[in-house]
Amino acid sequence: MTHSLHRRGTRESLSEDYVMLCLPAVGVNDEGHAPKLKKFLEIAVRYDPVNIGAIKLGNMYSHSKEEVIAAAQAVTHAVFVKPEQVASVLQDLKEADLGMSVVVSGIFENVDKCVEKAGLKHHTANFSLGIWGNTKRLPSDDILEVATMCGHAMISANLIKSAVDEIKAGRKTPDEAARMLAPQCACGIFNPARAAKLMAAMAAK
Amino acid sequence: MKIDPEVCIACEACLPYCPVNAISMQGDVAVIDQDECVDCQVCLKSGVCPVDCIYFEPAPWPRSLRTTFSDPRTEHKETKIAGRGTEEMKTNDVTGRFQRGWVGMGCEFGRPGIGTRFRDVSKVAQVLAKHGVEFESKNPVTFLMEDKKTGKLRDDVLNEKVLSGIIECLYPIEKFEEIMNALKEVAKEVDTVFSVEVINRADPDGSYPLRKLLDKMGIPYYINGKQNVGLGRPVANV
Repeated sequence: MTHSLHRRGTRESLSEDYVMLCLPAVGVNDEGHAPKLKKFLEIAVRYDPVNIGAIKLGNMYSHSKEEVIAAAQAVTHAVFVKPEQVASVLQDLKEADLGMSVVVSGIFENVDKCVEKAGLKHHTANFSLGIWGNTKRLPSDDILEVATMCGHAMISANLIKSAVDEIKAGRKTPDEAARMLAPQCACGIFNPARAAKLMAAMAAK
Repeated sequence: MKIDPEVCIACEACLPYCPVNAISMQGDVAVIDQDECVDCQVCLKSGVCPVDCIYFEPAPWPRSLRTTFSDPRTEHKETKIAGRGTEEMKTNDVTGRFQRGWVGMGCEFGRPGIGTRFRDVSKVAQVLAKHGVEFESKNPVTFLMEDKKTGKLRDDVLNEKVLSGIIECLYPIEKFEEIMNALKEVAKEVDTVFSVEVINRADPDGSYPLRKLLDKMGIPYYINGKQNVGLGRPVANV
């Protein structure tokens, strides 16, 4: 379920993209885990995430934040645009000692600084070696930068093109176009703030 | 997924939502190509149809696999986990699944946004099996293997198309170069794309031996990735 790993983009763009996951290990510490995942989301919303999600329900663009928090179970997600937010959430999580596993996706060196600032140590890493196989079938790089922010591929290339066309035609602002895409990513790991910037650039071409 | 032709008003609103481009206009109605559709339900759950003419009928085996592998909100009966894979390294601080000296590897077929037939998954799994990898027992693709020693998937599932299927496996770090070379070769023979990921437990000094190996071998990897930050309890002996 490596849905937050293969996000593509430039260093500048990815420096505004951090996904945090909180989950129990099935069969080990999942008994009574739901309140702990709710607490994770409550901590996350203190620091103004651009998205939160609970896989069984959806994200904050398809439901209210309160509904998402109430539906927390199995795995929960929060997305931030600044490393400082991530460091603050990690510090609060360390203090809360929920006992749930926490994973942070983002530029390695930036995440490492957050982990260190929170007095934690990274434990295990997952590296992306990119896309292999018949890559001629892939859409363009700029489309992929938006599409890979929903790792389950629920946001189609054609929908991204439609959203960009809406911006070009002046019918939607970049933020509105990003919000048109966000509900499709049920987990809530899509970063609408970054998507808006990427699609604004695509529309300007 | 199906569209009721008696109700469809040909507004074309659903067309861009399909992740595998399986919806097209045929005359005055939108039609879903049943062979290409992966039953992910994105078109239905988007709520985009103004007349509610998109519907889903649960399919019998083996087509039933399309939904379980394509809709992350669907839980696999065997693994009790939603989505296509397992918890892999996300809970390694608790499960100890990935020990020092080992590499976890995932090959995620159909991603991003192309979809895959299981025959491509089977082709690569068989090559990896020949190199002695240990397939993850809780992974849904592993459940489809006739024999974990050969990596071959059941014949009746090979033509099924899904949005994504992941091979997850484990091997000693000493085998990394050999397996990367084998993967590069078989990658030329698949019709779809697959994203490759590798997992490594940090050494006590915080370094990742696998990263050093990637640098040494000149294998490119993304500047971004995932890290478990060790907050899970009880702590695994790993």
